[in-house]
Amino acid sequence: MPIVTLVQAINMALDEELRRDERVMILGEDVGQRGGVFLATEGLQQKYGPDRVMDTPLSEAAILGAAVGLAAHGMRPVAEIQFADYVFPGIDQLFSQAAKLRYRSGGQFTAPMVVRMPSGGGVKGGHHHSQSPEAHFAHTPGLKVVVVSTPYDAKGLLKSAIRDDDPVVFMEPKRLYRAVKEEVPSDDYLIPIGKAALRREGRDITLVSYGGPMVETLKAAEEMAVAGVEAEVIDLRTVMPWDKETVLNSVAKTGRLLVVSEAPRTASVASEVAATVSEELFDQLLAPPLRVTGFDTPYPLAQDKLYMPTVTRILNAAKRLLDY
Amino acid sequence: MVKERIAFPSFSQEPIRLIDPEGCWVAPFSHGLSAQELRHFYRDMLAARLLDEKLVVLVRTGRTSFIAPHAGHEAAQVGIAHALRKGHDWLFPYYRDLGLVLAMGVPPVEIFGQTLGNAADPAKGRQMPSHPGSRPLNIFTVCSAIASHIPPATGAAISMKLRRTHQVAVCTFGDGATSEGDWHAGVNFAAVQRAPVVFVCENNRYAISVNISKQTASENIAVKAKAYGIPGYYVDGLDVLASYFVVQYVVERARAGEGPSLVELAVHRFGPHSSADDDTRYKSREELSAERQQDPILRYQRFLEREGLWDAQWANELRLEIAKELETALQEAQKAGEPDPLQMFDDVYAARPWHLEEQRRQVAEELEA
Ligand SMILES: Cc1ncc(C[n+]2csc(CCOP(=O)(O)OP(=O)(O)O)c2C)c(N)n1
Repeated sequence: MPIVTLVQAINMALDEELRRDERVMILGEDVGQRGGVFLATEGLQQKYGPDRVMDTPLSEAAILGAAVGLAAHGMRPVAEIQFADYVFPGIDQLFSQAAKLRYRSGGQFTAPMVVRMPSGGGVKGGHHHSQSPEAHFAHTPGLKVVVVSTPYDAKGLLKSAIRDDDPVVFMEPKRLYRAVKEEVPSDDYLIPIGKAALRREGRDITLVSYGGPMVETLKAAEEMAVAGVEAEVIDLRTVMPWDKETVLNSVAKTGRLLVVSEAPRTASVASEVAATVSEELFDQLLAPPLRVTGFDTPYPLAQDKLYMPTVTRILNAAKRLLDY
Repeated sequence: MVKERIAFPSFSQEPIRLIDPEGCWVAPFSHGLSAQELRHFYRDMLAARLLDEKLVVLVRTGRTSFIAPHAGHEAAQVGIAHALRKGHDWLFPYYRDLGLVLAMGVPPVEIFGQTLGNAADPAKGRQMPSHPGSRPLNIFTVCSAIASHIPPATGAAISMKLRRTHQVAVCTFGDGATSEGDWHAGVNFAAVQRAPVVFVCENNRYAISVNISKQTASENIAVKAKAYGIPGYYVDGLDVLASYFVVQYVVERARAGEGPSLVELAVHRFGPHSSADDDTRYKSREELSAERQQDPILRYQRFLEREGLWDAQWANELRLEIAKELETALQEAQKAGEPDPLQMFDDVYAARPWHLEEQRRQVAEELEA
């Protein structure tokens, strides 16, 4: 089994899906000869030609809008947005067209498309190469939203997204692109959208996270273990629809919930998870659910490290829960 | 059925016109259409007008909430409809196109069902009136967001090209839509890809109250095509045969792999922007009456008279026949009743995720209580 990085796993998934299904195509800025600015589509245009791996004009509205029409007409487009921060010029296509096409037509037309985008901070990218806009998408009925954190998941989830009959926003934390490596089978496998992964079992506290901060969350859990605290760690993987069952089962056992995300706190996915757990498990909780998140500021450059959830911040929040 | 590929000049100074206001055929070629075909255009225009009148009545009598009247656009809309291969080509219409979708063959009962937002609507009453769509006829369901359907039309056309389906996508919009970023994005990408798509502007010179002079500094809409490297055609959209022949020309051009075009059909909007608008706030009485003097149906009637194909008795019978058809369809639509309230939770996704199941259960319990 090859040992690959997250971005290589994305490339494998795309390659396999392009080979498997003629309707699958890629479109985006610099995805062709250049192979994408992060090389996620490296070598694919050479293999499948300029029609199936298509360089587009510099227009997110054109990329996402054309993807809607391609999908409605029967293709399976995978659109690449160069950075999640640049999805906004195309947001009307995603929100008004893709998300609502099935609904507004009463199921007559659909937009089975994938919108891949490198997201998140930690790469000294300033506020326009660092954002985590998943809450916007999760707040838009009709979209599914995946945020990956491991190469193995990235491949299996991207394949599921491409085969899904609804539009899927597929977020790839760019700081993990080359930071994590693992064995990824070169054969076909799928990971279902909407299922979380239990990364670590424990009975004292539940840590829920997804995407980039999974790294810090797992490190914090290890440090807790050294101190004799057994943390259960859940990687949501899909934030819309998120896996409530897995989270509730865990918190029912531990009585304590800490949600970790690098997105701004207010009206976030983290808030949604915390609110749901409060509503449904109120009488089993040993402490109020807490959130460690990014801040409600634009993503800063100079304070890049200060902004992101750190192991220390996670440990401090966990301590508050355990001492409550 | 028609002379193949009559060539029309792009970027003309004057609008392309085949029938003048007096009803004279002024083109340097013969139309080559049979009496039956010529009368068919008339029938469809009349049906479009009668539909419009009926919808306005439905609003005034409180039976529906909204309508975007298309009176004044009939020649343009019927011309477009006749230029497409129905059920094969794709249409990406906008909200003022009920006359167009009627001429495309959308059953009137569906149009009324959509207008009433009830169970006769194939889209299950999800959108406000004037938002039709039809899967069997490849009519992409209208979206309110102006110009948001332009890039999807381009995308569908790219798919048609890649898969060699010999289809064409025709996308319609108003003059205001050409100011949107999505319009630029869609036209530009289509031109780069030489996708088989035709962009048709039904230019009534108003976006609600905003006159075209505040919308664009271009001399007309058609010239905008130049910047994208595609031909633009400036056409008298009150002339049904000019609309038809030019749109057909560019549709077949697109089908032949020669890429997209932009067509501007210059029309009038006889009514207010919508039933919620009062056009006397921004159009003078003189302007309104001058526009109504140029009725596209009357012009075509004069033409048919000259061809010996129109007489009052025939026209009256036709009017009665259409009115009856529409009334029957309306009655049928009214009988359909409300859509199932729990359909609110369908079609968000292919299957309902847990959170929609929960929310649906909550509403179901409320309804039972
Ligand atoms: C993106 C967006 N902005 C504003 C509106 C509100 N609105 C609805 S119709 C309209 C005018 C459109 O005019 P035009 O494109 O010329 O078409 P017409 O109505 O004249 O046929 C406006 C501003 C909208 N529906 N979508």
